[in-house]
Amino acid sequence: MSYLAIKLTLAVFATFGLYSVLYRETRFYRFFEHIYLGLAAGYTLVATWKDTLYTEWWIKMLGKTDVSADGVATVASNGFWIYSILAPIGLMGYMVFSKKHNWMSKIPIGIILGIWSGQQLEVWWNTYGPQIYSSALPVIPTTWSFVPAQPVAGELYASQALTNAIFIFTLISAFSYFLFSFELKGKFLTGLNTMGRWMLMIGFGAIFGSTVMARFALVIDRMSYIWNEWLQGAILGGS
Amino acid sequence: MLQFLAQATPPETNFWQQAPGTTGLILGVVGAFIIGMLLFFGLSTIPTQFRRYIIVGFTFLAGLVFVLQYLWPRPINADFEKELPRNAVEGFGAWLGVAIDPVAKTANILAAFLLGLGIFSLMRVHINKIRRRAQDWGFSLILIVSSVIMAIFGFWDWNMRQFNDPEALLTSQENWKFANYVNDALFDGMYQQMDAAMFSMIAFFILSAAYRAFRIRSVEATVMMASALILMLNLMGALTFMWSGWINGLVESTGNQFLTNFDLTVVAGWLRANMQIPAIRAIEFGVGLGALAMGLRLWLGLEKGGVSS
Amino acid sequence: MTIWEKLQAVDRRILYLILAVCVSAGLFITIEIPTDPDPSSRDLYQAIMDIPEGKTVIIQSDWTNSTRGESMGHFENLLRLLMSRNLKFVFYSAADPIAPQVARTTLARIIKERKDEGLYEYQIGEDYIDLGYFANAEATNLNMGIDLRNAWSGKRTKKAGAGEISIWESPVLKDVRKIEDAGMMIVVTASASIDVAVQRLNKKVSIGAMVTGVVGPTVLPFYQAKQVNGVAVGLKGVYDLEYCMANGVNLKDEDGNIKVLNKGGKEYPKITEGKTLARGSKYYGTLHIALILLILAVVLGNVGMAMSRKKPGAKRS
Repeated sequence: MSYLAIKLTLAVFATFGLYSVLYRETRFYRFFEHIYLGLAAGYTLVATWKDTLYTEWWIKMLGKTDVSADGVATVASNGFWIYSILAPIGLMGYMVFSKKHNWMSKIPIGIILGIWSGQQLEVWWNTYGPQIYSSALPVIPTTWSFVPAQPVAGELYASQALTNAIFIFTLISAFSYFLFSFELKGKFLTGLNTMGRWMLMIGFGAIFGSTVMARFALVIDRMSYIWNEWLQGAILGGS
Repeated sequence: MLQFLAQATPPETNFWQQAPGTTGLILGVVGAFIIGMLLFFGLSTIPTQFRRYIIVGFTFLAGLVFVLQYLWPRPINADFEKELPRNAVEGFGAWLGVAIDPVAKTANILAAFLLGLGIFSLMRVHINKIRRRAQDWGFSLILIVSSVIMAIFGFWDWNMRQFNDPEALLTSQENWKFANYVNDALFDGMYQQMDAAMFSMIAFFILSAAYRAFRIRSVEATVMMASALILMLNLMGALTFMWSGWINGLVESTGNQFLTNFDLTVVAGWLRANMQIPAIRAIEFGVGLGALAMGLRLWLGLEKGGVSS
Repeated sequence: MTIWEKLQAVDRRILYLILAVCVSAGLFITIEIPTDPDPSSRDLYQAIMDIPEGKTVIIQSDWTNSTRGESMGHFENLLRLLMSRNLKFVFYSAADPIAPQVARTTLARIIKERKDEGLYEYQIGEDYIDLGYFANAEATNLNMGIDLRNAWSGKRTKKAGAGEISIWESPVLKDVRKIEDAGMMIVVTASASIDVAVQRLNKKVSIGAMVTGVVGPTVLPFYQAKQVNGVAVGLKGVYDLEYCMANGVNLKDEDGNIKVLNKGGKEYPKITEGKTLARGSKYYGTLHIALILLILAVVLGNVGMAMSRKKPGAKRS
């Protein structure tokens, strides 16, 4: 049995182990569940060091020297020594276990949140600026006919204007649902709110449909892994 | 001072960036660590009433770099890689451009240190369960053993590839050693496939929930189902192909071009462009405004119950 | 107990079994299904085909095995498409440390597939560069927009016959000084990393997206606002792209039929070397079965509820 066949068999066995919860939560499932959690924790430790702390902190802090095949050493990057101050700051996070000094654990979290929050102005404008612009669609038609087979450039046909109006109405009514969080009085506001709720449902329907496709794609792939890659490919030696 | 955080391309060095292995660098690293530890112990003596200001100060300073970077005036088409800044304003703007990277990476480095906290907590819970021989302590043992084995072989494999494989021979499976095989079997053979299995299981629950809970009991539920149904029908190429054939046949037999509007792909496309996209955009606007407000409140230390409370 | 009440009370495990059996059976029936690609997928194909020759493409590969069913198909299509056009590319991940390894494995498989077909074998350092993982998507994308050479400073690549060289000496990046010099940036993702790319690189480079069905709906507003130039969403997006690759756009086949129509748009050729219909084609038929099953489940559930209510004396819920 080749290494690939052993690896795939192991994978399929583990997949069945987790899938067994679909029948009932048994000790068989819990065994695999705990292996999965353990592997995740172990790998997180490895990945945290090798992909973040080693590359972004350790190497940046101490610099890197490359040695070519003929033994010539060249400095690939300088050492940025001030980064070593991050170790004690990171250590402050562990003060969460101290009754007296647990407030200090909020300092590294505060720095992380500060870095996130400082970017929100730029993020907001870059995300929504072009979207606000593209939502400002014309709604007054230049001609009262429907869009013909050969539309004339520059004309806004009645059907297109109506479509644009629907677009804007959907956007405003759905958005108003987020803004009007106070008690609504009057037919206009309550009506807009109700329509907003319906429009949101249209959006949620689209999200639901798309999510269904995504989840089914994953189960299709898993079945393909079991039947095509493992059974046909590795065990029966097919494709 | 403006060299602080700026990149110095080797062999060029500056006060903040020293060549690897030099005494200057080692002194800097040790010195910065000692300053950090002094800060650590100094902060632990801060009286209660000042603690909030310390946290708010750190948060504000961390965010300030990004706010300034975005709002600081910058000449159009400035290319500070080729051109020198003409005055102090431009110089500060150029510095902000290069300072962003090391400051932003600070968040990741600190998050990585804090991730260890999560693993430490997980291990503590399970080790306590084993020590107390609590119910199902065997599973806790399995969790710890599997995480230790994964970590050992993960680091072993990384060490071999990082420091003992200058020719990158280990990229080919033919050159693998025991540790590489075990690491691959654990990571790619088990962890990755279990990950895929876990995510795929949601499909089963969606089917069951759709059968039992997706009920048309209100206008909202009906609208949502209709929207989802049109989208799902449009996902099926075979169905849209047959539907188009039928509509095209009708158009040919009646000569009424208006009927093409009832082609499923046309209906679904119109619905997506004019109702689904603006509705989702409205949801995103709402979330975006919330995130912006939350971001500003956190940055300025106004958020109640946040890190600064 | 009526048949409707029995249906209402059916064990969930029977539903699970039906799904598993139907999906498994579907995998053994592979037929080419005609489709009408979504305009967003078609635009992505056209945008990739419009990349000028000699330009380098930036790929941000942010997917892992957890969304293999969709993202692997996207990534394979992208590689086949770029390689068929002889375009050089750089790839990296900014969302998940596991992602570069998954991308490397897929890339190695596609290179071997092409080699076995007697096609040109892409070489590291010469035709593509692997930049690995960048720990912070926000900082990485922001920095790429401000100063690409600073963002990727110190990165090196292996190159056959030259050992390890600076990425800027490689033919892949020697003409790229800033992000605007790239032919296109394509984000293959299962997360909001596409949002981050749009937010930080707004209008600086043409962005394309290959996303999962979960992420897709939130990316479509970007597409409508032209912040991204094309989006392939989920498994349908995988098949759409394969279908465009196999049939071109506005291109007449031997019978004079146009399989992928873009009214008023120009003609785009089909891909003539290597595989076109692949993973998407294999899974798409099965997706039909699964979706029909779900629609049936909703209909039966609702009809069952309605019929149970009709029964005299039945408790209204």
